[in-house]
Amino acid sequence: MALRDKDSDAQERRLAAYAPRVYGLLVRMVGNRDTAEDLTQETLLRAFRAFETYRPEGKFRAWIFRIARNAARDWLRRRPLEPALGLDADWAERAPPSPRRQSRPEDRLLHGERASKVEAALRRLPAPDREILLLRYYGELAFNDIAKVTGEPLGTVLARAHRALKKMAELVPEEES
Amino acid sequence: MTRCPKPEMWVRYAAGELADRPRRALAAHLESCDACRREVRDLARGLEAMESLEREPALRPQMLDTLERRLRVAAANRPTRPRVITLVARYGWAAAAAAVVAATLVLHWPAESPPTVLPGNHQAESLQEVAAAIELLRVADNGTTPLPPQNLFPAGRQNELDLLLELDDAGLLLDYLMSQDKLQG
Repeated sequence: MALRDKDSDAQERRLAAYAPRVYGLLVRMVGNRDTAEDLTQETLLRAFRAFETYRPEGKFRAWIFRIARNAARDWLRRRPLEPALGLDADWAERAPPSPRRQSRPEDRLLHGERASKVEAALRRLPAPDREILLLRYYGELAFNDIAKVTGEPLGTVLARAHRALKKMAELVPEEES
Repeated sequence: MTRCPKPEMWVRYAAGELADRPRRALAAHLESCDACRREVRDLARGLEAMESLEREPALRPQMLDTLERRLRVAAANRPTRPRVITLVARYGWAAAAAAVVAATLVLHWPAESPPTVLPGNHQAESLQEVAAAIELLRVADNGTTPLPPQNLFPAGRQNELDLLLELDDAGLLLDYLMSQDKLQG
């Protein structure tokens, strides 16, 4: 029993560490902070319950993000009448920035402006294209892994990524050095 | 100038996901192709734009508290599964292989006569099947499951009943695997 408790603690800690990144993905998939928080919890609970049957066939991170992505997809399917994005457009601003990005007021301002432009550009992407960029950024997954997460051929994933990255480059001005 | 690679290839290039050899080949192409250089610059800008987002956004403390509480409840409600069930979930196919071996032996058991020693080659085949199942499991686990000791099924054991007793309740094979379990918790 002691071993089981120790296992559970370790699993809880391991999963909880993913919460911010999973949330980062989900809030941009569903466009609503409260829903994203619920889905983040649901994702990590699902993973926790499935831990005993998890087999290390691929990356653990990819497994978590597949659960998260499917949770978001399920939610979006159940709510067809609500727009997927745009209801909670301030999703990013409501979260306090990390200490790394709080260094100087002018940096914070510039960063905030640019981040807002990036958020706006992301919202303009088709959902499947946006999803690829989000899985890559928050999951830090290679395109091969993303293809496994989405169940699409690698070529399709790369084509989506190509389209999305070009659009981002077009919509977000270059950062001044 | 060499023929331009597909745009998808440049995505992997810009993302740093190519092996050394194709990466060098593409870099060589870039030196002589303005169009592809622009392509890579755009893709790199798109990737760089994403870096403006918080990769680990701060979460509301109450949300984290709720998550922690729900995980605790889930841990407390986790069914305590008997070892053999956990093993079957993890090594289900190995259990199936053991069951097939056991079933094969039972089917070949004489119905009315007392247990006798089966022909040597039959027992040898059964043992080979079990050994093959273990080897397959070892391969599937990328070699993390060590091979069984040589005396797991001593060559000298001739009594078929002994073997059946040990295979019954999926015990011997699966208990061995459990004792050698190296999967992380």
